[in-house]
Amino acid sequence: MTEQGDNLGKLLYSLHERAKELNCLYRIEEVLSQPQLSTRAIFEKIVKVIPAGWQFPDMCQAGIVYENLTFRSDDWVDTPWTQSADIIVIDEYVGRVIVSYREEPPSGRDGVFLKEEERLIHSIADRLGHFIMHQRMKTLVQEYQAAAQEFERTRRGDWQVVLEMLRHTDRNLYLSISHKMLNHLCWAGVGEAEQLLASALPDQMSEQDERYGDTNRPYGRRAAGITEDMSREIFRLAATHLTDDEIFSRVQKWVQEDKLNYLINPLVSLNTPLPDVVDAIRRYHHIAPQDAELPSATSMNVRVALIRRFFTEQLRFINIAKSYIDVADYFDLLQNIIYSADSHGKLGGKSAGLFLAMQILLKDTTGGELLANLRVPKTWFVASDVTLSFIHYNNLNEVVEQKYKEINQIRLEYPHIVQTFKSSQFPPEIVKGLSVALDDFGDVPLIVRSSSLLEDRIGSAFSGKYKSLFLANQGTKQQRLTALEDAIAEVYASVFGPDPIEYRAERNLLDFHEEMGIMIQEVVGTRVGPYWLPAWAGVAFSRNEFRWSARIRREDGLIRLVPGLGTRAVDRTSDDYPVLVAPGQPNLRVNVSIEEVVRYAPRKIDVINLETNTFETVTVAELLHRHADDLPVLEQIVSVYDGGRLKRPLKGQIDPGRDDLVVTFEGLISNTAFVKQMQHILTTLETKMGQPVDIEFASDGKHFYLLQCRQQSSGAGAVAAPIPKDIPPERILFSAKRYVSNGFVPPITHIVYVDPQQYGQLADRSEMLAVGRAVGHLNKILPKRRFILMGPGRWGSRGDIKLGVSVTYSDINNTAMLVEIARQQGNYVPDLSFGTHFFQDLVEAQIRYLPLYPDDQGIEFNERFLTTAPNMLGKLLPDHAGLADVIRVIDVPACADGLVLNVLMNADLDEAVGVLGRAAAAAEAQESGFATDAPGQHADLFWRWRLSMAEQVAAAMDADRFGVKALYVFGSTKSGSAGPGSDIDLLVHFDGSERQRRDLLLWLEGWSLCLAEMNYQRTGYRSPGLLDVHIVTDDDIERRTSYAVKIGAITDPARPLSLGRRS
Amino acid sequence: MAKSSYNPFATAQAQFDKVAEFLELDAATRELLRNPLREYAFAIPVRMDDGTTQVFRGFRVQHSDARGPSKGGIRFHPQETVDTVRALAMWMTWKCAVVDIPLGGGKGGVICDPHNLSAREQEQICRGWVRQLARDIGPLRDVPAPDVMTNAQHMLWMLDEFETIHGAHLPGVITGKPVGMGGSLGRTEATGYGVVFTVREALKELGVRPSDTTASVQGFGNVAQYAIQLYTQLGGKVVCVSYWDQSDQCSYSVRRLSGVDLAQLLGVTDRFGGIDKAKAKGLGYEILPGDAWLEQDVDILMPCALENQITGENVGKIAKRVKIIAEGANGPTTLDADKVLEERGIFLIPDFLANAGGVTCSYFEQVQSNMNYFWEKDEVLGKLDVKMTSAFHAVRELAKKRKIYMRDAAYVIAIGRVAQASKDRGWA
Repeated sequence: MTEQGDNLGKLLYSLHERAKELNCLYRIEEVLSQPQLSTRAIFEKIVKVIPAGWQFPDMCQAGIVYENLTFRSDDWVDTPWTQSADIIVIDEYVGRVIVSYREEPPSGRDGVFLKEEERLIHSIADRLGHFIMHQRMKTLVQEYQAAAQEFERTRRGDWQVVLEMLRHTDRNLYLSISHKMLNHLCWAGVGEAEQLLASALPDQMSEQDERYGDTNRPYGRRAAGITEDMSREIFRLAATHLTDDEIFSRVQKWVQEDKLNYLINPLVSLNTPLPDVVDAIRRYHHIAPQDAELPSATSMNVRVALIRRFFTEQLRFINIAKSYIDVADYFDLLQNIIYSADSHGKLGGKSAGLFLAMQILLKDTTGGELLANLRVPKTWFVASDVTLSFIHYNNLNEVVEQKYKEINQIRLEYPHIVQTFKSSQFPPEIVKGLSVALDDFGDVPLIVRSSSLLEDRIGSAFSGKYKSLFLANQGTKQQRLTALEDAIAEVYASVFGPDPIEYRAERNLLDFHEEMGIMIQEVVGTRVGPYWLPAWAGVAFSRNEFRWSARIRREDGLIRLVPGLGTRAVDRTSDDYPVLVAPGQPNLRVNVSIEEVVRYAPRKIDVINLETNTFETVTVAELLHRHADDLPVLEQIVSVYDGGRLKRPLKGQIDPGRDDLVVTFEGLISNTAFVKQMQHILTTLETKMGQPVDIEFASDGKHFYLLQCRQQSSGAGAVAAPIPKDIPPERILFSAKRYVSNGFVPPITHIVYVDPQQYGQLADRSEMLAVGRAVGHLNKILPKRRFILMGPGRWGSRGDIKLGVSVTYSDINNTAMLVEIARQQGNYVPDLSFGTHFFQDLVEAQIRYLPLYPDDQGIEFNERFLTTAPNMLGKLLPDHAGLADVIRVIDVPACADGLVLNVLMNADLDEAVGVLGRAAAAAEAQESGFATDAPGQHADLFWRWRLSMAEQVAAAMDADRFGVKALYVFGSTKSGSAGPGSDIDLLVHFDGSERQRRDLLLWLEGWSLCLAEMNYQRTGYRSPGLLDVHIVTDDDIERRTSYAVKIGAITDPARPLSLGRRS
Repeated sequence: MAKSSYNPFATAQAQFDKVAEFLELDAATRELLRNPLREYAFAIPVRMDDGTTQVFRGFRVQHSDARGPSKGGIRFHPQETVDTVRALAMWMTWKCAVVDIPLGGGKGGVICDPHNLSAREQEQICRGWVRQLARDIGPLRDVPAPDVMTNAQHMLWMLDEFETIHGAHLPGVITGKPVGMGGSLGRTEATGYGVVFTVREALKELGVRPSDTTASVQGFGNVAQYAIQLYTQLGGKVVCVSYWDQSDQCSYSVRRLSGVDLAQLLGVTDRFGGIDKAKAKGLGYEILPGDAWLEQDVDILMPCALENQITGENVGKIAKRVKIIAEGANGPTTLDADKVLEERGIFLIPDFLANAGGVTCSYFEQVQSNMNYFWEKDEVLGKLDVKMTSAFHAVRELAKKRKIYMRDAAYVIAIGRVAQASKDRGWA
């Protein structure tokens, strides 16, 4: 056998061993979950199961010693090849598990037993310990309950009987109650009681006691040494000073309180490991009688403690959650938490948001039938500190230091980290948990979502920074388990990815520990052909930041709906569109004409392919063509395009082979309670949580599943900008007080202003069309997302283009913002379009829209600036110079002493203002949801670095060798607006031979590739080359053709670089 | 001097005046035809979804019914001006006349923005519009059709209201209805086929066999696809097609010198006529810039996409070989480009002749609706061929006889026919 073959053999063998171990744990779990069996029967079964988990099951035997009982495999022989683990219940040894071999096995590297077997036996012992504790508790409670019943029966009778019984069943409780009675008597001023108390103390500290209140010194400790004799004395005193009824009710209360101490104590102490907390709640659930109400203060204390333990320390969250999440609500959740024995972890932000939202909705009574089909998909949680135990278990500790490295270093190392994580192992107890989870799920596809403690915190939009992975979850149990472990490891690795680290660094969150909760969620859906997908899914916002009609209010909300997995609704894609609905105004549609509806209908669909185990995007047409019959509620999803109209099909009347189907969700919106349900959910959550929310949802055609809920402002770029009231009037360019949405607009350097009056006076349709064409040209040459378009009436008018400039989306797709100006005309103000001609394109590209009503009262509109600032249209587009009266292109910094235009939008106030200021002001005022696009403190670095690199290139260039007369830089590098993905525009004034030209391009190509790699390491932006080289000749410069216009241009001219050697 | 603002009706009148001068029409006829015959303006109160009432302005312009019931669309538009509607109504009169169908011209609409209206509110507007005009429209008076922001659904609401008021089944009151609800078969093919019927006749005139020709087509929508289909059936070879690429937000031309295989190309095309570049490449097509269709060395150009595509700037790029330009789209040629084409002696088939297949089919729909008997598709397309062919030859004859440009000839014929009918009726 070759060495390689040998290694492979070993690997396979060791994998096989792991599987056996898991199986063993698994079967033990099965035995323990049979409530009908007695403890004895259970232990007998377990000793039979254990040997199968060891390396040589045939000669392996197992035993359990528990108290005075011993359970053993048949034909037990004592041998020296043995290992054991103690069973501990609440720090107390109660027995042990023993495994041994009947004859000497071949010994391996670790001795007779494998390291893994050592861990396995401990896992088994731990599990048995918990089991025994649980059993004991149950017995105890049964006794309590019997006692309580006895109490009831003897209510008017003798409380001594009760005490006597307590003395026999639970001596500790008996003594503790005695002590409490003693205290009670003392407080009641019974002198004998005080003496009795004093006698119980080892030292007399009464003098100190006198001084309480005037010193910071602690009181002396009172060691309570109550004996049974004293108890009798105490109750004798009680009998003389208190009525029977009073004693009885006191005793009853203390017994009750004691019953809950096991719940309260572990919670109040932050040191209690998660398993103990979980056990406490489990016990509470099993044993607390339905009517065992916690006193309300205690109840609140426990609720808050639980929220802290499982979810978050955030006061705001706690404050809301404590009113909605009961102790009992945790029970189902707890069944599904995976954690290590000493875990102190939490479940993370995503889990918290979803759990709270669901509790709010379940406890809501106003919705009636609307919420009847509301569900949460089956979910398992991995506690956040499992991240750390995973890291420790695999000796990956140094990875935590990753975040303090240089970002390019992090980026370079990240792929290796991912690989290392994926080839690392999970601690056995976690594997055990995952295995149980997988059995619970069966083979439905799963999504592994990060639920970071940083995620969804107020003020930081962590959404999407960490990974979420889909798993088809097909194949053998082992394959599925491996895939699940892989996915979790990958999500863990994403904590150390460059983007999240950079994002954290920017927000001073770097020192926050790296724990991350995991949610393993069933993917809602049904099987359709080889695919798994929900009938529909999407996201919904309680506040609508993209209103397409003046009749839609912000609080009417917005739903983005897609067929299949919701990924296409969450992400924005340029070539596909979700269906948009405002739940408060479901009848006002974005797309009205048939052409619009069809054009903006979803055309692709995300699915999980169960056969190839992959996440895929397929076209709707293809899916419908092949598998329409499998799709649930098809008639709610599609309309039939027929003879120029869209018909809502009747159920069962769709012929996918023949009908032209368009995804419109018309049936769902018009024929079902979906929209009402959605509106109810959004308003309920917003009201109860006290802030706008967004949710993710999906449906399998039967039920409505809530997948996620978080505060809406954490979404991309939707933070309301503060609008300062002390802006000097001369700085204000325009203001708006109608139909304002939230949204970030980057600092604006150029304004394209189509003068409404001049445009209205154009005498010729072809001139109006020319205005549209000129705008299209400007859109191509002005710096992307750094200019705004302002124009009369309705941008994108067709037909009657007097109403607004005739442009298509491609003519405006680089603008940062589209402004429509409604000037009073005679006695009416024209309707604006709200961007409806290309509304969905604007939404997907996050181009903001703002309507201006300059003639409204209290509105600023600095027409003077717009009409008198130097117009560079003629210089930029000589062909269109004739339109200079109509189109004004303003270089803002050039006309306003270097200031830029900042547009601040605040939907909460329904106010927006365009103000001249420094670029940084806007960045401070508004935080973009996109870290990399944000003009934050790093923004400067991008262009500075590019400029310095361009200077380097120039300095290194042998101008004579390449026939270069001059070299310029222009575009975003020169204008200081370069982002992390921008290229460097170089303009070469060339005057050489063809050969020199080839050499030059080759030489620059080398630079380009190097710079691209450097840029990638700095920013994570990949590009095939960083230099965008434009060559111009003397001829070009003379004729001012192509890029030659940039040399000495009026606006944004190219900047010359000093060239290197010139012999 | 302040510029006077653009007025489409003034433009349409100026065009009419030019032809009237050519035809030496008398003053009364000119006065009659340069203004609409009748105009209606009225209020449509609508109970909105929120319980309030809003009043919308509706209108209808009947430019001429000298040759038959007025025919023309109903548009929902937020800021429609009456001058635009007048111009469009006049244009409908000429359009029906040029293909010699017995209908006049009209146009109408409602001032509203459907983006601000629910479907129910739009239905109420449609029904309100019909209630106001129930006595002034009808299969024998004025026949509306879908237009900007209205579609078959709106037409069905209007039809239903009209029939309810009149207590009779009267599907001929409206065209643009779905098949099975009074619509006509062959409607999807009509415009594209119509373009090629005229191209076929033009080739006959030039004495060229279609199988010896090649063509380049702008656009790959409904009109272009059926034009390519029929032209290929006739033996011609389309070598280049341009289309709008939604994801790149620009147009491309797809070229295969051995000829475009329509069925194959449709296999990689979406509903909107967007071609999958990569797949087309795989099928052996070259992907060229959007305006490359214009520069191909072919015999025939068919602009079937948007207006203002052949401009002063690019008209020079048209190959010497090009003999025929058939305007499948509305107004694809700008004025300055048109002059160049005329000078070059290119055989131009003007838009309102070339793309009249659509309006002709609407006429057929009305005829079928009136007799409540619906033809098979072949019959519709056969009749369309007859109409288009004779319309073409009438225009061609006139152009030859009077030695005028085809576009002018088409106007002269159309206006001449309407003027004649008015005279015959004793209106002028």
